[in-house]
Amino acid sequence: MKTKQYIFYFISLFFILSATAQDNDQVEFTVKLSKEKLGLNERLKVEFSTNKDGDNFTTPNFKDFTILMGPSTSISRSWINGKRKFSLTYTYILQPNKQGKITINQATITIAGKVYKSEVKTVEVTAAVTNPNTPPSASDIASENLHLVAEVSKGNPYLNEAVTVVYKLYVSPDIQVSGFQAIDNPKYNNFWSQDMPVTKYTTQEGTFNGKSYRYVILKRVVLYPQKTGNLPLEPLSLDVQVQVPTQRRDFFGGAVYAQTNQRVSAGSKSLTVKALPEEGKPASFTGAVGDFNFFVTTSKTHLNASESLQAKVEISGKGNLKLFQLPQLNLPSSLEVYEPEHDEKISTNYSGMEGKVSDSYTVVPAYKGKYPVPSISFSYFNPKTEKYHTLNSQEVVINVIQGPSNNVTNSTIVEGSVKKAVETSGEQFSFIKTKTNLTAIGSNYFFKSTSYYLWLLLPLLFIPIAILFSKKREALARDVVGNKVKKANRLARKYLSAAKKTLGKKEAFYIALEKALHNYLKAKLKIETSEFSKDKISTLLLEKEIDTSTIEGFLFLLRNCEMARYSPFSNVQMQQDYTKAGEVISQMDKQL
Amino acid sequence: MRKVLFILVLLISYFGFSQNETLFQKATTAYNDGKYDEAITDYLKIIANGKHSPELYFNLGNAYYKLNKVAPSIYYYEKALLLNPNDVELKNNLAYAKNMTLDAIENLPETNFKSMYKKVTGYYTFDQWAYINIALILLFVIAYISFRNFHSATKKRISFIGSLTCLFLSLLAMIAAYLNYSDYKQKKPAIVFEEESIVQAEPNNRSQEVFRLHEGTKVYVLDNLNDWYKIKLADGKSGWISSNDIKLIKN
Repeated sequence: MKTKQYIFYFISLFFILSATAQDNDQVEFTVKLSKEKLGLNERLKVEFSTNKDGDNFTTPNFKDFTILMGPSTSISRSWINGKRKFSLTYTYILQPNKQGKITINQATITIAGKVYKSEVKTVEVTAAVTNPNTPPSASDIASENLHLVAEVSKGNPYLNEAVTVVYKLYVSPDIQVSGFQAIDNPKYNNFWSQDMPVTKYTTQEGTFNGKSYRYVILKRVVLYPQKTGNLPLEPLSLDVQVQVPTQRRDFFGGAVYAQTNQRVSAGSKSLTVKALPEEGKPASFTGAVGDFNFFVTTSKTHLNASESLQAKVEISGKGNLKLFQLPQLNLPSSLEVYEPEHDEKISTNYSGMEGKVSDSYTVVPAYKGKYPVPSISFSYFNPKTEKYHTLNSQEVVINVIQGPSNNVTNSTIVEGSVKKAVETSGEQFSFIKTKTNLTAIGSNYFFKSTSYYLWLLLPLLFIPIAILFSKKREALARDVVGNKVKKANRLARKYLSAAKKTLGKKEAFYIALEKALHNYLKAKLKIETSEFSKDKISTLLLEKEIDTSTIEGFLFLLRNCEMARYSPFSNVQMQQDYTKAGEVISQMDKQL
Repeated sequence: MRKVLFILVLLISYFGFSQNETLFQKATTAYNDGKYDEAITDYLKIIANGKHSPELYFNLGNAYYKLNKVAPSIYYYEKALLLNPNDVELKNNLAYAKNMTLDAIENLPETNFKSMYKKVTGYYTFDQWAYINIALILLFVIAYISFRNFHSATKKRISFIGSLTCLFLSLLAMIAAYLNYSDYKQKKPAIVFEEESIVQAEPNNRSQEVFRLHEGTKVYVLDNLNDWYKIKLADGKSGWISSNDIKLIKN
């Protein structure tokens, strides 16, 4: 059945071609070789064919070949659906005469007055083969028509840059594949690999070495090189069951297929992995390669003490997401922080890993206050721009509104007291001070200064001084009589100094004495008494409650002063009066 | 001529004084309005004018705290604490600021005696201790003299005991001042200003990293060489730090 189908395809193809040929009216002159590589003892079939009738066909000079047969001409005409197909073919069978590459030159033909030339072809002639001209074995055909290829997206990636390897099995239209089995799955040493399993094998059309093939994608792997230098990729080996057409024909003329097992392996490839540039490498670089975004967020910024909040460090984007460490969150030591929870949401596709990774920290503040979460930085290398980028997170401030304050001095809080006082939410952050006493900066310290020592020692000096002073005073206090005399002397000295100077001169002495007595009263009573009579003076003094005897003495002295002006007074009397005046004054002084 | 100059100097100093006062008032208003930057500029102007006070440093610390600047906040609180070591509000706010630091440094355990000793001598600055010392000496002298002069036996007894107590206390105050002074001279505290600073084993960049410190941590400077300070932490760790990374609290 299959062979019939092929014949049908072939015929229909023929007609389509002829139809197009007619439509376009395009002249084709082609050369076709049966083999491109042959042994010295093998034969080569060369066909020149054209789709229009032509004349003057000239063969090239087959100078390194022996012409075994030809040229044999064949013409075929066919009409299908009113479209005409024409073909004129000249066939040669040649035997090479020497080894090496032999060129088959152009053949020419004249069609409708124009000369057309065929392509120049080369064949490779090798040493003689053992079984010349026998039909190739099934496995030979299979190996020629079956190719396993590893396609690498990038031959010289950077360290940690994603590389995709796609394994494709190319099958020529001549053969059929009925199944395959992996013999050797490559282990990707020095790579971090992520397999993208192929769930459905779909046949696609493609070309391989310039010929049309069908291919199937067998395996897709994303690799992240973990080492620099030349890293070989282990080949993938497959055992493929193929059906190969043989030379034999069945009853309908279709080829008989032979089944064979063929091993194919993708040739070993290697990647040259480039190291990341040292130039401009940031300190915070931990090996992230790709294109990323970076955020630090907290679930709350205002909370009470002993409530919890989540701080999240998140990196999203494309690149080796699983292969680097997330930057650590630096939190104030006074916060209680639990081990972070790691979360990955990554999908892998042709271009590598994509998604996000995050570390989520649970934080429980114990005391109230402000807690800044300082900005942390994350650096990555972008292989596209070939540059390092550094991203800094925003600084977040966590405000703990209520709770105990972390104050050492107020650690002893009386708890469990029965009476409930006015509740405060712990110590508040104090307001600034509104008053101050500014002093000069850098003023010398008081301690150890001269004034300090003076202040320290001078008061001590007071003690002996005070002791001396009090001793003297005591001694004075004991001597009562001497004291009186002393006082009288002092008063007398004060008021009677003028009188003392004139002692001995009667007139002057008594005038001075009288003046002194009046002066004394003037000082004590604040009254001018010189014009007063003696009676007036005695009543004044009596009002001041002064002894009558003292008043008598005072008045006697005044009378003496008056009498002395008119009567003789001896020097002795003068001396007596002088001392009497001193005594009276001192006595009066005590009583006033 | 001299008199005129003297008056001029007096006037200028008075003018400067009043200017600082107005700056202080202005800063207080700015702070209360939430303009912390303005307040800081004014406070710093006062310091630039050569004046300071514990309240000024306290207010500066508060303003920096409000702006979430950890290191300057702690720096000025510590400066205030040097001038006035037993201010409750100051200690309270300093605790708030210390909450913001990243480094957890545990103090070395101290013996009971040592902590008692520190508590007592550190309760006042040495200058304050010196004033107490002088005051007590004066009291002693007065009490002693009155003891000498009193006549009644009870008065004599009371004043004698009082004078002896004053003398004893003044000696204690003197010792406290002395100890505090020597302690003050010996210790050179500093605050880390750099966000992250690497402490090296040797005073050069080639040597090994010992540990890392973060903004706001208090360290004690033991030694210096070129641009490096040898520092010690409260938990006993030590190493060399670049002098640009820290700021000494005492000038």
